[in-house]
Amino acid sequence: MNDTIFGSVFRKRIFFLMVVGFFAACVMQLFNMQIIEHPIYSEKSDENSVKPIHQMAPRGIFYDRNHKVLVGNKPSFTLRIIPAEYDKKLTPYLEAILGVNPGYIDHILKQNETYSKYIPRKIAKDVSFKVIAWYEENSAKLPGVDYVMETQRDYSFGVMGAHMFGYSKEIPSEVLERRKNEYDIGDEIGFNGIEKTYENILRGKKGTKYVLVDSKQKTIGRYKNGAEDESAIKGDDLILTIDKDAQEVAEEEFKDKRGAVVAIDPTNGDILAFLSSPEYDLKDFATVTSNDVWKKLNNDPDKPMFNRASMSIYSPGSTFKMISAIAALEDGVIDTNFTVNCRGGLQFGDRFFKCLHVHGTVNITTAIEHSCNTFFYQLILKNGLDRWSKYARKFGFGKKSGLDISEESSGIVPSTSYYDKVFGKGRWTKGLLVSLGIGQGELSVTPLQLAQYIGLIANFGKSARPHFLKGYVDAETNNYVEVKPQYYDLGISRKTFDIVRHALYLVVNGSGTATNIKMPDIAIAGKTGTAQNPHGKDHSIFIGFAPYDNPKIAVAVIVENAGFGSLVAAPIARDIIKAYLQKDKKDEKVNQNLANAVAAQGGKKSEN
Amino acid sequence: MRINYKPQDRFDFAIFLPMIFLIIAGLLAIYSSTVNHPTAHGNFQKQLYWAVFSVLIFFIIYYLPQQTFRMFAIVTYLAAIFFLIAVLAIGKTVYGSKSWFGFGGFGFQPSEFAKLATILMLAYWLTYKSRDINNFKDIGVALLIGFVPVILIMLEPDTGTSFVFVFITIALIFWSGISLFGMFVVLSPGVMVVASLFGVHVFLIALILVVIALFFFKKDLFNSISVFVINLASGFFFNYAYAVLKPHQQKRISSFLNPYADPLGAGYNALQAKVAIGSGGFFGKGFLHGNQTQLRFIPEQWTDFIYCVIGEEFGFIGSVIVVTLFFVIFMRLLKLSSTAKDKFSVLVIVGVLTLLFSHFAINVGMNIGIAPVIGLPLPFLSYGGSSLLVDVVLLGIVLNVYRNRKLHT
Repeated sequence: MNDTIFGSVFRKRIFFLMVVGFFAACVMQLFNMQIIEHPIYSEKSDENSVKPIHQMAPRGIFYDRNHKVLVGNKPSFTLRIIPAEYDKKLTPYLEAILGVNPGYIDHILKQNETYSKYIPRKIAKDVSFKVIAWYEENSAKLPGVDYVMETQRDYSFGVMGAHMFGYSKEIPSEVLERRKNEYDIGDEIGFNGIEKTYENILRGKKGTKYVLVDSKQKTIGRYKNGAEDESAIKGDDLILTIDKDAQEVAEEEFKDKRGAVVAIDPTNGDILAFLSSPEYDLKDFATVTSNDVWKKLNNDPDKPMFNRASMSIYSPGSTFKMISAIAALEDGVIDTNFTVNCRGGLQFGDRFFKCLHVHGTVNITTAIEHSCNTFFYQLILKNGLDRWSKYARKFGFGKKSGLDISEESSGIVPSTSYYDKVFGKGRWTKGLLVSLGIGQGELSVTPLQLAQYIGLIANFGKSARPHFLKGYVDAETNNYVEVKPQYYDLGISRKTFDIVRHALYLVVNGSGTATNIKMPDIAIAGKTGTAQNPHGKDHSIFIGFAPYDNPKIAVAVIVENAGFGSLVAAPIARDIIKAYLQKDKKDEKVNQNLANAVAAQGGKKSEN
Repeated sequence: MRINYKPQDRFDFAIFLPMIFLIIAGLLAIYSSTVNHPTAHGNFQKQLYWAVFSVLIFFIIYYLPQQTFRMFAIVTYLAAIFFLIAVLAIGKTVYGSKSWFGFGGFGFQPSEFAKLATILMLAYWLTYKSRDINNFKDIGVALLIGFVPVILIMLEPDTGTSFVFVFITIALIFWSGISLFGMFVVLSPGVMVVASLFGVHVFLIALILVVIALFFFKKDLFNSISVFVINLASGFFFNYAYAVLKPHQQKRISSFLNPYADPLGAGYNALQAKVAIGSGGFFGKGFLHGNQTQLRFIPEQWTDFIYCVIGEEFGFIGSVIVVTLFFVIFMRLLKLSSTAKDKFSVLVIVGVLTLLFSHFAINVGMNIGIAPVIGLPLPFLSYGGSSLLVDVVLLGIVLNVYRNRKLHT
């Protein structure tokens, strides 16, 4: 070899070092990538090729207390196009079948052009069954077109109930931001009413199917043969306290009226009927709500979206008189011997407060029976503002009842501190009190509070927090889970209630203000009210319960701008009572059988 | 005197067996990456035919008389140059470069053949009679032999392959015993090119270093000035050269520096290759179970990215085995370079080593993210008949040298 100043051994060594050095670098880099950083790459690789496809879980169904369906689910078909396989020549046919304008499909395909051609595009939601049948017949000639079945709410069971049921809709981005861990974009979430309160049990569990996709998002096959797939679990079905028959009657009667109805089982707080009128149609909210519907609902002066039954505040009028009566009797301010001579009103200071009639000498019973204002003007003065206010709050006024929907107002029960705040200390007079005595003035209540109040009177001060949910069927175990009502007792003596209840009995069955709704077979007790209203005709109010001896239903009815309570509101209350009690008799046996069946089913499950 | 040779004295299994194992590994990886592929699923079978054919040729080469290669060096080289020119005129354009002759279903790359021819020609020239490697004229001719194919291949354009010719030429000149000054003359223009990459300041500093070096070499004024001018010119030349690079080649250089900057663009392949190898872990995902491979995240994986099929499906174990097989071949070639006694054989072996090693280092380097993405096949593994055949033939020549080495003692 040529021996120059660079010896050949030296040159060989340079080659050797390069080979060994690179070999070492390779092994080190491989060690680094495949062992130390393996988890990072592994995750990246999975993200690359495993794509989860979510399957929506159908929401739980709403049943009434007798297991009749109130709100159900129905299949809804969504038509899709996979651009990579789709033949554009089909567009005119598809557009004709779907009844959309020419160019509609092109528009949708253009919108998402940048995404992979293998991702299906939804072209029409809630497609009619006819279209699907047509598709099934011709699918061989329709490459790149398919459909998926989803579920949507079905409201075709004869009740409206929009304000209590509420609706669900696609999760708004600000909610999604807060609940990222629970929801994905495009998920449905209960937006108001019962759908919102019981969202957690109603929504069920989304299913996930894992598929393998290639670098173009084309589905290649299933991931691990479906071993990791999770099927969707339907939401829990709710058994509501609502009585479908009573609800239907209420809705029927209110078709052309504005107002609200709340009916409660006084023994346990079950809400039997709940209505705010005018209603809105939940069918418009089952899929995507159109802008026209929104505009119409929002611009309607009757405000159909507003929940009058638990949010609207009214003056209770004469229906509030029993608060004064109970406060005075219970605290010994008066007894049944106390009388007032009604000469058609009361002069208080420089103002004359009217009574509707000249009732002559009235005691507590006749004062309620005939709704004598003079008596109650006097009585609230004897009680004093704070005693009256304390009892009003005891019966649930001025605060939320804790109903299991979030749309609820507390109303206002004035007290010394309230007036001090509004008018300033010492800058208001007892004259304000006099109006409160007959349920007018600054006092305001919700129909729900009135129902709760008459229920407490019916059941001698014992009841439970008003609620819509009786129980639910756990979708995973199929067990019925009962939700126990939250009972409470006002601790007011039976003697006081006996006097007041008797007077309420006479209102309907004696010579009182609502004898027009007296029924031969059902003893109704109640109280009429007429609430002054600065914006128009008085509101007609009736609160009552039945049967008198063993109350099973307490109901509050308010009809806006309808005049005297006895004429409009009382007959509606009677019809609801009738619908509930007469059916109740008939169905008692059926109910018992159902309860047994559910119990038997539950028992069998737990044995396994 | 007759000596009974053992088989291993005449046939080097330490080169032959690793080569066979690598070919088998390549076939497995090609099968895995194409079996589910809509258009490339026939590649395994084609490569299998090529492999069998190549090994047959290997043995023919092995048994040829030793003088053959020296005798045919000039003819081979001229033929190679002819093919390289012809391909520019009538070649088939594949992936943007005109580097193929198509014969029915099979293709042939003249640049592969040119590798073999250039090694033989350089070895021939550098060892002809009393060649003085430190003579400017002789170096000049050697450089010319190496750089004619470089320029022709750059015109195709196939930059990656032309690099390999540069490496071979420099390696053989170096091994031939060029003086420090000669090496300086050959290499310093390249250094200037790289320096000019980093801007004017670095370029000027490099130029000053060249002047200082020239001062210490104490050559005459004419020589010193010539070298200085060559250096200066090559620095400026680079700006033009960079402009000559195709945009995708410029992008490949920048995406090597930061492959994550553009994960769906030029850096995509490099990134996906790293993900494939990294996700393989210690034992790999198993044959045909690599999702990166099976789901085709790396386009044309069976060519330049074949190594990441091994990395993903056979893990660290498989990757290291493949690298080690190459390492064994390289070590063996180095060893043989000092056993062969005639200069021509030594230079052929060094040429083969340089060729295989530069392919290996650039290809594996880009797969594992320590070298830029330059399109060079991995010897013995990547899909491609002419490349496999030439690589096998080169080792056949080496074993031919091995077979005949005792005759010279």
